[in-house]
Amino acid sequence: MPDLDDELMERYQKGDENAFTLLVRRHQQPLVNFIARFINDRDSAEDLAQETFIRIFKAANRYKSEGAHFKTWMYHIASNLCKNELRNRGRRDRYRVDNVVNSGSDSDGDTEQVDLIASAPANPAFEPEVALERKELQNAIQDAIAELPEQYRLPLVLRDLQGLSYDEISEVLELRSGTTKSRINRARLMLKEKLKPFI
Amino acid sequence: MNCLQAEEHFSAHLEDTLDYQTLQGFEEHLAACDACQHEYTRFQESVKAVRQLPQIEPSLHFMSTLQQRLATEQREPSSVKEIAATGWGRVLDVFRRPRWAFSGIIALILAAAGTYFYQEGAFFNQDAHQASVTPTSQRQETVILPEVSVQQSRRLTRDNRQLQRRSVFSTPVQPMQQRYMLKQVSYTTSSTSGGL
Repeated sequence: MPDLDDELMERYQKGDENAFTLLVRRHQQPLVNFIARFINDRDSAEDLAQETFIRIFKAANRYKSEGAHFKTWMYHIASNLCKNELRNRGRRDRYRVDNVVNSGSDSDGDTEQVDLIASAPANPAFEPEVALERKELQNAIQDAIAELPEQYRLPLVLRDLQGLSYDEISEVLELRSGTTKSRINRARLMLKEKLKPFI
Repeated sequence: MNCLQAEEHFSAHLEDTLDYQTLQGFEEHLAACDACQHEYTRFQESVKAVRQLPQIEPSLHFMSTLQQRLATEQREPSSVKEIAATGWGRVLDVFRRPRWAFSGIIALILAAAGTYFYQEGAFFNQDAHQASVTPTSQRQETVILPEVSVQQSRRLTRDNRQLQRRSVFSTPVQPMQQRYMLKQVSYTTSSTSGGL
């Protein structure tokens, strides 16, 4: 039985434009999150996420023949765009994601995000110091992720932030299952060392 | 199992994907090694911290911006009819790709070189080869015809030589053209003298 994404793609291929809008709505948030965490740049993440959807829009008719699941296909396109972006940029850490999130954003979504960070745990003994510490830890984690080599960072983000299975990650990155597992373990070990002062 | 081997199984143990035998070896090592116990605890905590990072939301104008961008884009055609409808643009697109453009240029160069060598080298040698192989009697048949008198034949032969010299030294005539001219002259002169 085909999943909802496949069904929507099929409907879109038959000319139902609303199906594509639904696909975008379903995946825009995870995609923006993935790209922002991977390239460590919120503004470019939106552009690249849109570019990913444009590529999907243009190549929708080839979708079936490629035989991939929509989600892995989408992440595969996005990963390649991110790699190109990083290659073109030369230097990846221009902005810190959390700084951009907090720096004068006027959209409701961003405000909601900041509130979410500040009040994430339903902790009755909530204190500003605790929130600040948590915020610092999040910044440190994001920086540590950004410092990982690309070949380890990509599977780590797909696994621990996007929640993809090992098989899906292997499909996205066109790697063997053993290589994917090994890279994710290696990435986590590197991250553990980078976070030593905090954890 | 040593410490390095144990470290390789941190993720698998965390996600509960170790087979029974490896699991036993891993847990035995962890029970006996304080350093690995400590590292594994930190490993678990760092993975947990990463997983708890907040999700980044797209801005509110994400969808509207995307729709504006999509309005300027065109979907790739899927059927033969759609491809045909786009006309020569699709065909020319193939040559805009570097690999195809390079192959096309190489093919053109090879074709031009082939034509040149065929006309200059190979064909010229073929003439020389034919001249050396063809018996003298057959070659003479094309020039000297039976009903021509001795004087006329001498004059024709002289004219032919003059034409040959003129064609070879004065103007650059291709071998194929030269042969055609010689034949034409011999046929013309023989017909005027009533040979045919």
